[in-house]
Amino acid sequence: MTATMLDCCAIAAALCATFMAGSRHLKRNILFYTLQTILLAFATAIRGSLQSEEQLYLIAIAIALLKAISIPLFLRWIVRKLCIYSDPGIMIAPPLVMHLSLILFACSYFEIASIGHSKGSSMAASASASLLLTGLLLMLTRRTALSQIIGFLVIENGIYLFAMTQTTGMPLIVEMGILLDVLAGVMIAGLVAFRIQKSFEHIDVTQLAELKDE
Amino acid sequence: MISLVISWLNFFLAILLLPPLILSLIRKTKARLQNRVGPSWFQPIYDWSKLCRKDETLSSTLTWIFRGSAALNFILVLLLALFLPWISFKPSFTGDDIFLAIYVLALARFFSLLASLDSGSAFGGFAASREATLSLLVEPAFMLALVALGINARSSSLSAIFSYSTDANNQVVCFLAGTGILLSSLVELSRMPIDDPTTHLELTMVHEAMILEASGRNLLLVEVSYALKMTVLLGLSAQCFIHALQANIVCPKLLLVILSYLGILGLAALVGLIEGLTVKLHWRKDPEFIAYALTMSLLACFISIGQGATFK
Amino acid sequence: MTNLILIVALPLLMAVLGFSAHKLPFFKQLIAFCAWYQIGIELFLFRALFTGKDSVHFVDGLVADRTGALFALLACFVVASALCHACVFFKNEGVDRHKSSRRNVGIFFGSSGLFLLAMTLLCICNNLGYLWICIEATTLVSAPLVFYSRDKHALEATWKYLIICSVGIAFALLGTIMIFASSQQQTEDGTLHLTELMARAGTLDYPLLRMGFILCFLGYGTKAGVFPIHSWLPDAHSEAPAPASAMLSGALLNCALLAIWRISQVVVAAGHPELALKLPLVFGTVTVAAASLFLVKQSGIKRLWAYSSIENVGLMLTAIGLGAAPLFFLQALNHSLAKVAAFLLAGNFVQACGSKKLSELKGLLILSPSWAILLALAAIAVTGAPPFGAFISELYMLTKSNEMDLCFVFVTLVVSLTIGFIAVCYHVSGCLWGKPAIASINANTSWLSILIPATLIFLALLLGVTPISKYIIEVF
Repeated sequence: MTATMLDCCAIAAALCATFMAGSRHLKRNILFYTLQTILLAFATAIRGSLQSEEQLYLIAIAIALLKAISIPLFLRWIVRKLCIYSDPGIMIAPPLVMHLSLILFACSYFEIASIGHSKGSSMAASASASLLLTGLLLMLTRRTALSQIIGFLVIENGIYLFAMTQTTGMPLIVEMGILLDVLAGVMIAGLVAFRIQKSFEHIDVTQLAELKDE
Repeated sequence: MISLVISWLNFFLAILLLPPLILSLIRKTKARLQNRVGPSWFQPIYDWSKLCRKDETLSSTLTWIFRGSAALNFILVLLLALFLPWISFKPSFTGDDIFLAIYVLALARFFSLLASLDSGSAFGGFAASREATLSLLVEPAFMLALVALGINARSSSLSAIFSYSTDANNQVVCFLAGTGILLSSLVELSRMPIDDPTTHLELTMVHEAMILEASGRNLLLVEVSYALKMTVLLGLSAQCFIHALQANIVCPKLLLVILSYLGILGLAALVGLIEGLTVKLHWRKDPEFIAYALTMSLLACFISIGQGATFK
Repeated sequence: MTNLILIVALPLLMAVLGFSAHKLPFFKQLIAFCAWYQIGIELFLFRALFTGKDSVHFVDGLVADRTGALFALLACFVVASALCHACVFFKNEGVDRHKSSRRNVGIFFGSSGLFLLAMTLLCICNNLGYLWICIEATTLVSAPLVFYSRDKHALEATWKYLIICSVGIAFALLGTIMIFASSQQQTEDGTLHLTELMARAGTLDYPLLRMGFILCFLGYGTKAGVFPIHSWLPDAHSEAPAPASAMLSGALLNCALLAIWRISQVVVAAGHPELALKLPLVFGTVTVAAASLFLVKQSGIKRLWAYSSIENVGLMLTAIGLGAAPLFFLQALNHSLAKVAAFLLAGNFVQACGSKKLSELKGLLILSPSWAILLALAAIAVTGAPPFGAFISELYMLTKSNEMDLCFVFVTLVVSLTIGFIAVCYHVSGCLWGKPAIASINANTSWLSILIPATLIFLALLLGVTPISKYIIEVF
């Protein structure tokens, strides 16, 4: 249980996001998301043992239960119900998106360097920035509502990783509130995706463009 | 002096023993997964000795290039085995540069392509074209993985990179580069997700179609150099993983020797496992697979560059 | 603790009533009544603030100061007015006849209760973490409000609203965490409490604080509809039913801006007013200019009001950028009063004529003179023309920018406000005169349907012609 283990978890989580960018199968994306979240929960536990903070164990358990089990199950349930298994994506080939996300990873080094010296490791900080940017990239290069939700979840994971590695002692109640908000947001967005499928007979959000200024 | 002699002896033992052992280990793993007993552990050696005794059949269109390139290929792979640090107790040479390794690998491939074109058969031609395409795609991945290690060690000398003396922070780079090398050597060696080495249909072959025309001792040379190349490449990626491990645990020299053997054998078993569990990818899906290897290597590069920036 | 229970009890009761008791005959009136009663409770709780005390303590992290209390009262007033009008609005819609639409109305009123709760807590937050949670909660609970009509357009608007705001607010969360990290650079324990952050503002790590402020500004700015990231706002405001549009425009935008103002206060206290003021100032001015140009070419009446809201958000941001908190509140107050009236009246017309398009809304003066005159007055009040209150606050703003030698801001504001005024007057007068597309409207034009808008416009007029505005600015 060393600090480098924490870095390894962070990089592995970033790698999961990169692989998500490289695959358009929704179920595989959800699987990678689950893996990523488990890694984050594990990293939280490592951090907890490094700093001997009991509340981090609590947060790790909450993440594992809510974000690594409930949300993927819910998303898989939607995938099964909607019978949509892969995302058509925009015109860029998935391997190219994957490499784009790597370039974003490299950019996040400079970004982190420009913010300056925070207390945590710079490796984990750039991994979290890369999660954030890859999540945005996922949202930009995907078309179905479900992929948008997954992209949002990746962004959220990136933010969480940043909070966990760069600060100490975030108030527990704030962390839990954020977790609940995200959970509720995903549930509502998932239900809206259902409605979209029902009334438009597709869940391609790029085709939702009826409302605009004339 | 004695330790030098022992290390040379050990090295030759590894070169002689490991290639046939790996081949049979892969076959055994695959057979076990399919609930078969599989061929005997000594089957590669039986095969090779049989090939040694057999006569050669040469097509009338073949020139000296065909026979010469098989021998040259073997020599180049042997050269690769001599200076790629694929095992921890390898005696070191001066001038063992990563770029030299990459060029020797490319040169060996060039001669095998030449040989398959020289045979003049239709299968040889398209196999050569496929091999050239694949190697074009996979070369950046392989090269970048080595370059990442080089940046990390601040040296392009292979013995300096794999000297077990770098600091602890590089384990992420080592791990990623090792995975990159493993994935790209699957392509380089035409193993499973890219090419099925046991297929009987020439239209789907890549590597096998290239050596259709070879027979007798010529085929023996090709087979042996292929097995040696596999040992070296798997060993290289195993060394990367051992380096990543070594950042956490300090290993004595003897343990490193055992780990080197075990690492190669473990990766060979993994290759067998992959062959038992997966199906061959569609030809158009191959670039996607190679992209994963490239991703690993690029990430390793970025991280090593970034670490260098923070250390300064 | 008693204070907290008092302030959350009624909104929770509203939510429970809305979600479970939609079979009761008078549940709508009951909920609207609760909202009015909530104003009384808040006045009672905040009474100490107006007699000299600086803060009212609820629990750790929820402490009301004067600005927060004023914004909480304003939000509550807006919700109460909108819900009161909603009783008439939904009756005209004929929802009482269908079981499913009764349930939808129940969900609408219940979500409004939760919306009120989230906004009230947001205004009295003294902790950046709670602030973020409350803002995200407002997004989540107002999604059902936008989705009320359950059709394709509403669906599209809801989706955009949810996703764009959630991603924007996610960046605000990153900003919040960076501010937390910046408070941790010199001491071991970081803090998110605003008062503590202000107290040790000098020790905050500037690069992290700067990044955090910029991210928070962009995140909460998305929620407020600041110019380049406003795209959800016109869609959501035009597709939501009129009372929901009124609540979104009149209460939610203020709350998002309040969040920006609170964080900018921290940055000012840390000794970097150039960042904390210039960013809102520049974005505010650009938003005013862009929104006034958008106003010129609009085809829907509710989209017109939505862009007018964006223009007013720009003005409020400019007020923040000028470092004038009273002006910020005054502008928010004037905008809320006039815009709620405008949205409610527009909702009446849209409901009666069956179209949102300006080209199909013609001859409103013939169809219903009382509504049409009020709509014209609301349009004038919204654009900041005399004698309404918005004129006073905009005049203060222009004087202040002139005093501070912000020539660029001054010129842009004057030109954009003029363009906005002309555009709104052109569009609205086009609706008032002409030949009506329908023979007569089949809606109830009784005094009940104009009670709330007329009161709001009267209040806006009072703010303009009596010295109340001056009093607010001086007392602050």
